[in-house]
Amino acid sequence: MTVTTASTLDDVTVAVSGQGGDGSLTVITLLGRILSARGFHLYSARNVASRIKGGHAAAMVRGSHAYRGGLDGSVDLLVAFDQEAVERIGPSMAAGGIVVFDGSGGALPAGSLPDGMRVFEVPFARMAVRDLRRDLYKNSLAFGVLTRVLSVPDAEAEARMVEGLGRLPAALQEVNRIALHHGFAYADDQGIPDGGGVWALEATVAPERLLITGNEALALGFLVAGGRFFTGYPITPASEILESLQRHLPRFGGVTVQAEDELSAVNMAIGAALTGVRAMTATSGPGLALMQEGIGHAGSAEVPLVIVDCQRAGPSTGMPTKPEQSDLAMLVHGGNGEFPRVVLAPGGAADCFELAVAGVGIARRLQCPVYIALDQAIAQHAETVAPFDLDVPVEGGAMIGGHELAARAEYRRYLVTADGVSPWVVPGTPGGMNLVTGNEHNEWGQVSIDPENRRTMMAKRARKLTAAAGDLPRAVRWGSDDAEVGVIGFGFTVAPMREAVERLADLGVPVAGLQPRTLWPVPAEVVDFVRAHRVTFVVEHNDEGQLLALLVAAGAPLDRVRGIRRCDGLAFTPGELVERIVGEVGR
Amino acid sequence: MTATYTPRSPIWCAGCGHFGVQGALARALRDAAVPVDQVMILAGIGCSGTIQNNLGTYGYHALHGRVLPTATGTALADPSLTVIAAGGDGDGYAIGVGHLVHTFRRNPALTYVLMNNATYGLTKGQGSPTAPLARPDGDEQGLDGILLGLAIMSSTFLARGYSGRPEQLVRLLGAGLDHARGGGGFAFVEVLSPCVTYQDTYPIWEAAVYDLDEEPGYDPSDRAGAYAACLRVAGEGRIPIGMIYRGGRHGVRPDPAPASVDLTGLEDAYRAIMDAYRV
Repeated sequence: MTVTTASTLDDVTVAVSGQGGDGSLTVITLLGRILSARGFHLYSARNVASRIKGGHAAAMVRGSHAYRGGLDGSVDLLVAFDQEAVERIGPSMAAGGIVVFDGSGGALPAGSLPDGMRVFEVPFARMAVRDLRRDLYKNSLAFGVLTRVLSVPDAEAEARMVEGLGRLPAALQEVNRIALHHGFAYADDQGIPDGGGVWALEATVAPERLLITGNEALALGFLVAGGRFFTGYPITPASEILESLQRHLPRFGGVTVQAEDELSAVNMAIGAALTGVRAMTATSGPGLALMQEGIGHAGSAEVPLVIVDCQRAGPSTGMPTKPEQSDLAMLVHGGNGEFPRVVLAPGGAADCFELAVAGVGIARRLQCPVYIALDQAIAQHAETVAPFDLDVPVEGGAMIGGHELAARAEYRRYLVTADGVSPWVVPGTPGGMNLVTGNEHNEWGQVSIDPENRRTMMAKRARKLTAAAGDLPRAVRWGSDDAEVGVIGFGFTVAPMREAVERLADLGVPVAGLQPRTLWPVPAEVVDFVRAHRVTFVVEHNDEGQLLALLVAAGAPLDRVRGIRRCDGLAFTPGELVERIVGEVGR
Repeated sequence: MTATYTPRSPIWCAGCGHFGVQGALARALRDAAVPVDQVMILAGIGCSGTIQNNLGTYGYHALHGRVLPTATGTALADPSLTVIAAGGDGDGYAIGVGHLVHTFRRNPALTYVLMNNATYGLTKGQGSPTAPLARPDGDEQGLDGILLGLAIMSSTFLARGYSGRPEQLVRLLGAGLDHARGGGGFAFVEVLSPCVTYQDTYPIWEAAVYDLDEEPGYDPSDRAGAYAACLRVAGEGRIPIGMIYRGGRHGVRPDPAPASVDLTGLEDAYRAIMDAYRV
């Protein structure tokens, strides 16, 4: 929470929590519109109580004038529909925070809140049942109190609610409107008049933005890059990509198949890619483990394929709804044998769009598997971003058609070339018949175990990465240019790192931050970054330090890197990173 | 004329049933007058998984057990192709049998030739899920892919041939190609194709096959009748062959083909999707 004047906020985190079905998400969505209209950036997460402590349903939004892209670790304003909500989220309350508590089911749990909280106890559920005969309307009541606390004019709160509930039948809308006014009336009783709340929201002028999740942005990027074939098997937290493309691809002449398993999904995508269509599949760790054989096959057979891994806590079925970054070793080294692959890692929704576009293009250019590594937080949380640049050229790669083919004396599918990429003729092209196989093969695609051919073909495939290294998505750098201390991280560590670097600068500790967007092959700029700093903290969500190991293997000096890690399903907070870094730089 | 790969000679042992399958497939393709550049043969892993190298078409060597999803991807992405999946009984009835069920359910426009020799030939003679067709005395019972297909209401074409009866096999494969190419969907042709080295079933199968094509009054459009006939023939210790079932709904063929859909001038359509996310 940042307070600009005595009671005016330009950075506020609001949580609404209760049992599933309490309507927490609706309240957060409506509040998001109010914040957005005042120029706030939004970062919105569902089921975030599970992010804080466990399985209780909650929705959370952080609104901030500065772009944050993540939470700051504490909650300023909590609407708690039950005691459990207070028990779970209470300990995360910011100093001076406000709790609006539904006491219908019992008293405020003792000892769950830090000292100095301001608590408004409202029997939402009882009032809703008594006056409106349905417990269901308590979220509209709560919205009325919440908007009063934030000094949002009643008329605006009502307009946003009418907008947001527009799809409900008129009678239901009317009851919700009445419930909202009950909320206002309660606020009156508590001495919070219309427009005169405890806090006010600082308004600023901002350009129009999108509020979008990483999964949705990635699906859109795939479509815009010319992707027309998608396969997937439902899995948390990747399913929204499947759902989004099921909705959009048919209108563009594309096909989405929900496969019977991940083995089918990856092989079906490969089969489609053989025809020249841009194909993608998406999954999470357990599914990716099943896909390994297919992905290695695409590497060996030189089939362009994009694979999205929305990482969640492993091993095995792990913690399906929790983010982690522990698939990195599988992404970089997984599968039997050795083959070229690229691993890209977006650090937010805008990156998800951009790297989907880039990934489709790279797969096409290099004729190899390209991974896009998300995590549960990047995949499923929504944030505000600038509208995407949709004017994207569709990458053609080395595909040649009938005319170009006819001008050649001969055609070899796996022609050995300087950059390792062979001209590609797809089935149906007159005169271009060729053989494609995952077995080791000669230039004609015929299976071969000849040692000299083997050396030639291994080198040919490996050259594709060497040749492309300079064209892969660049890292994003921020913070101080002449700092002795650096931080490196990807995915959902990026937002807290960026904010921590800002706070460290305020504390007089200059730090440089780097977000590699290509993880494999390890870009020279990342190793150079480590070399250029006395110490670089490698921030990652896993136990073994997979990114750190990758950097060291790529040449980063071991005595210049230190790991900051956690793998408990909780995101780093900026404050925690500040403490860790301040605590360690002195050593 | 651009020179491309030279089709290979088969790797199979002299006398292998697969020669009969390849010969019949080549003839059926010739009869259907499909140019080789419009044909994509995808094969699995095993002795059968080399047939794609031999016919001068586009060829693809899929992972073990995964030829059906791969071929489904190809058929859905470019329905203009004549897509043929090929593989053995280990590939299709053991490691890949789950995909067979779902391919019946999906009914894509492709022909699947499953060369059943009741053994794993390439790995030197281990028992396959159809091994009881050759050695009925084991603990495990055999798997009958035709009965399996009949039990799935969405199957549209089920035939069993025998490489020892090439004329019929050409007919069945030709009908399968017509079915897939003509919009009928997934054509499944199991071929009894003996392995002379590890499981020589010629003598057994020659005596065991029972040709439903020759049975007066047999109606391949009657699913229940087909099921009853297959059970009856199996009950007599014989193996039903012929055009066993053909019917049902149309196949799935995307139009336009995702592989050749126009990708230009779509910015406004993309923007409409993006605008739904504006706040």
